[in-house]
Amino acid sequence: MLRLPILTVIMVLLASFLFFRKGRQALTTPAGKGCVVPKDWLVSNPHPVTPTEHIRPADQTFLTYPEWFLVHSPAEIADYAHERTTTTFPYMSHVKQLWQSYGVVYDQIKGSFAFNTGYHIMIWVIGVSTTVEYALKALYETVVGRLTNPTNGAVVTDEDKFNAQFSQDYVDFIRVLPWYEFDFKARIPQLLKGTSFFGPHFIRKFERKYMLLTELLVKSGYGYLIKIGTKASYDEALLTTAVVINRLPAVPDTLTPIKTYPDGSALLLLPRYEAFHPAVSALVKQGVTFREIAGNNSAILLTVLAPETWQPVSQNLQLVFTQPIVTKPGLKRVALVTTVGSLDKTIRYAQEQNVKIEHVYDY
Amino acid sequence: MRLKDKLPLSYLLFTTRGRIHRSTYWLVSAFIWSTFYVLHTILYDFVSEGSTYILYPLLIGSLVATANKRLHDTNHSGYWLLAILIPVLGPLWLIYQLGFRRGDKHQNLFGTVPNEAADYFKNDNGQPVPHSAPERIINDVTQLNPVVVADVFRPKSVDELQERLRNTTGPVSVGGGRFSMGGQTASSGSLHIDMRGLNQVIQFSKEDRRITVQAGIRWCDIQRFVDAHDLSVKIMQTYANFTVGGSLSVNCHGRYMGHGPLILSVRSIELVLADGSLVQASRTENSDVFFGTIGGYNGLGIIVSAELDLEDNLAVRREYHNLPRSDYRTYFADTIRDNPEAVFHNGDMYPPTYTNMRAVTWVKTTEKPTVKTRLMPLRESYPLERYFMWAFTETAAGKWRREHIVDPLLYLAKPIHWRNYEAGYDVAELEPRSRTKRTYVLQEYFVPVRHFDTFSAKMSEIFNRYQVNVINVSVRHALPDSGSYLAWAREEVFAFVVYYKQRTNDVAKNTVAIWTRELIDAALSVGGAYYLPYQAHATSEQFHQAYPNARKLFALKKNLDPDFRFHNVFWDTYYQPFLSTGLTG
Repeated sequence: MLRLPILTVIMVLLASFLFFRKGRQALTTPAGKGCVVPKDWLVSNPHPVTPTEHIRPADQTFLTYPEWFLVHSPAEIADYAHERTTTTFPYMSHVKQLWQSYGVVYDQIKGSFAFNTGYHIMIWVIGVSTTVEYALKALYETVVGRLTNPTNGAVVTDEDKFNAQFSQDYVDFIRVLPWYEFDFKARIPQLLKGTSFFGPHFIRKFERKYMLLTELLVKSGYGYLIKIGTKASYDEALLTTAVVINRLPAVPDTLTPIKTYPDGSALLLLPRYEAFHPAVSALVKQGVTFREIAGNNSAILLTVLAPETWQPVSQNLQLVFTQPIVTKPGLKRVALVTTVGSLDKTIRYAQEQNVKIEHVYDY
Repeated sequence: MRLKDKLPLSYLLFTTRGRIHRSTYWLVSAFIWSTFYVLHTILYDFVSEGSTYILYPLLIGSLVATANKRLHDTNHSGYWLLAILIPVLGPLWLIYQLGFRRGDKHQNLFGTVPNEAADYFKNDNGQPVPHSAPERIINDVTQLNPVVVADVFRPKSVDELQERLRNTTGPVSVGGGRFSMGGQTASSGSLHIDMRGLNQVIQFSKEDRRITVQAGIRWCDIQRFVDAHDLSVKIMQTYANFTVGGSLSVNCHGRYMGHGPLILSVRSIELVLADGSLVQASRTENSDVFFGTIGGYNGLGIIVSAELDLEDNLAVRREYHNLPRSDYRTYFADTIRDNPEAVFHNGDMYPPTYTNMRAVTWVKTTEKPTVKTRLMPLRESYPLERYFMWAFTETAAGKWRREHIVDPLLYLAKPIHWRNYEAGYDVAELEPRSRTKRTYVLQEYFVPVRHFDTFSAKMSEIFNRYQVNVINVSVRHALPDSGSYLAWAREEVFAFVVYYKQRTNDVAKNTVAIWTRELIDAALSVGGAYYLPYQAHATSEQFHQAYPNARKLFALKKNLDPDFRFHNVFWDTYYQPFLSTGLTG
């Protein structure tokens, strides 16, 4: 049967063509080819005031984007899971957005900074893991999940409700702590005890239990391995970000400066990750400007969620790329780059424009 | 064409029968998933979301079917697919079983090893004629000679055969493997006797290196039997599909050195005559019957058993030597003919110029064979062989590529086989995908060794003049056959085995007849002969010139088969006119 190899080659080529074809909704739109950020923004601070232990490499504001995408994506899934079952969630679009945006942010720093091997490896590990997870889910949901999915994807079974809750808890958790610290194992008895075996939509219930059980088992096993690997390869991450501001706010704050300088500037320790941007916004509200963030005084990346038609126009910032929020038509994520010195103006600009700041990438 | 090749892809995709290899499973999985993705995307994008549901029965059906076949390969029932219900461990186990685990090396509950045929290629039992039972169409391997016979009879014992002959009158034709290529196994309106049911080993002596077998047994069956005793058939043809009775009737030869026609390895035979009586014959007992039956194309009676010589089953190593045709005779005489180490030998002459040859000799060796099995493993299909055959015969410069690229690559290997292995080829490797429009046919010419060069030149001129699509001319050597009436080696000869491709329309068949007669004349002009198991293109004069003792055989036939019961194309063509003109004619 020589026909089979020939037919297989033809079908694989056709399938690849369909998968990679252009012309459908663009999932990541870069602002331009290659590096669009002004080159003088892409430098390390030669004389940081911030103490060494609080300094992080300047290119990491870009490299943390793919990592954070893996928070934005589960957040989108969790939002979706409340409305409809995740069976119809466009997992593969997120896979594409992940790798496309990684390509764009790498384009910005390529050549301006030395290759950050450790960080790239970490991105590849989490990127490949997520790709495998999402691809398997997309496959499973297309082949099996779709067949048991209730009409209109309504969240009617206890299992789908469990999934919505679990997705929400998971994303709330990873906003603060690494994903592998999440206690997947504890969810298994909850799944089994919290749902009835029989009941309406029996097939769906059974299939979801099977699917969720598999997911929880695999993730607890994989998370355990990654935890060991991470502990062995990377230093414990600081949970704070040091910032140098031009002056202490007039209104006394709970934040007490670590150090004040003769010119009135001060060194503060702000919470890192998710809580960083509320803290920054609070300072901006008080008219503070930033001199250094984690020792850096050049480019800093932030993303905002804005209506599809919104276009940022400001001298203080540069558009890097946009990504549509595929499950929320009309909404897009806009990645902007500004300088540490102009961060206050950019945040104010976003607030004036009524667009939501999603995250400030604090290196 | 074999069953499996005829089967559509749907057999693989939608039936759970049989076994498949890991590699096939990967391939078919890639096919299923990519096809599903393509169709799903097209339906989703261009028709509607709902329309994609029609794909699911096909997808799940084909996944289950192919997984079943793969599980069978490791002797697991298809029900093991239910393991998927065990979360994590079930799917992991299945991935290992389906994608990675090696299949059983031998036949198991679910069938033979994939791509390995259960048996050598066989011709059918005769195609039924619609609305006209019990008539059947008997054809040979070339599919060029369909003959409608009155009935087909498969005797299970010699007694049954004798009784049938005693109790009936009328024409009889006899067939075994049916690998002759000119209607020697059938005659219109005759009772066709299919001898393949008489296939037992009657007696075997390891010490005497001797075996007595029923005539319907195939050489491959004998090989399986004697291999266990480290013995090997002394003389047979290259392909092991043939039945012993058929090979005896055409007195075939192989590539063995220091031997010749098959008759030289036969001690005695038993045959059933037209009246149903059983006769023993050997060189000393009923010698005229012995010499008239072996190589006698079933004219005198039906061979039912034969006592054959055996030899040791040795390891043999392939050696080759490329040389111009003009040097072959001297090379052969000096280094091969009297070389006690040479076991097989043949010289391949490259078309279309026929001036270059590759002399291939298998010599005795004490080295370890390079093949794992003692007998040649059978394959279900021969895609590479089939491709090469196609390329050699149908593409521009195909023959040049064979001589200068393909063969040099193939001969880079230095195989060491067992004697039995090297005598175990399956005709299936020659089978094309279809024989309806074009077919592969053999012819053979025997030329006294001293006239090798003269005949070669004449032959190549004729082939080129008629643009014959020759695949190969294989030259073999045979010692004289001193006795048989239709001896093709009356002295030491070179046999020119011509393998060619022809179209099956009438014009093409006629052209073949014309150049065949010219080629026969060329052989006769140097005191040679042509071989009779092929198309009966030769004129009566040519036949008698090539086989001067044929009249003696005809006289013997008239005596033993007075009612002319044993028919086939050969006897119809050359004996019938002889009968009508009288014995002296």
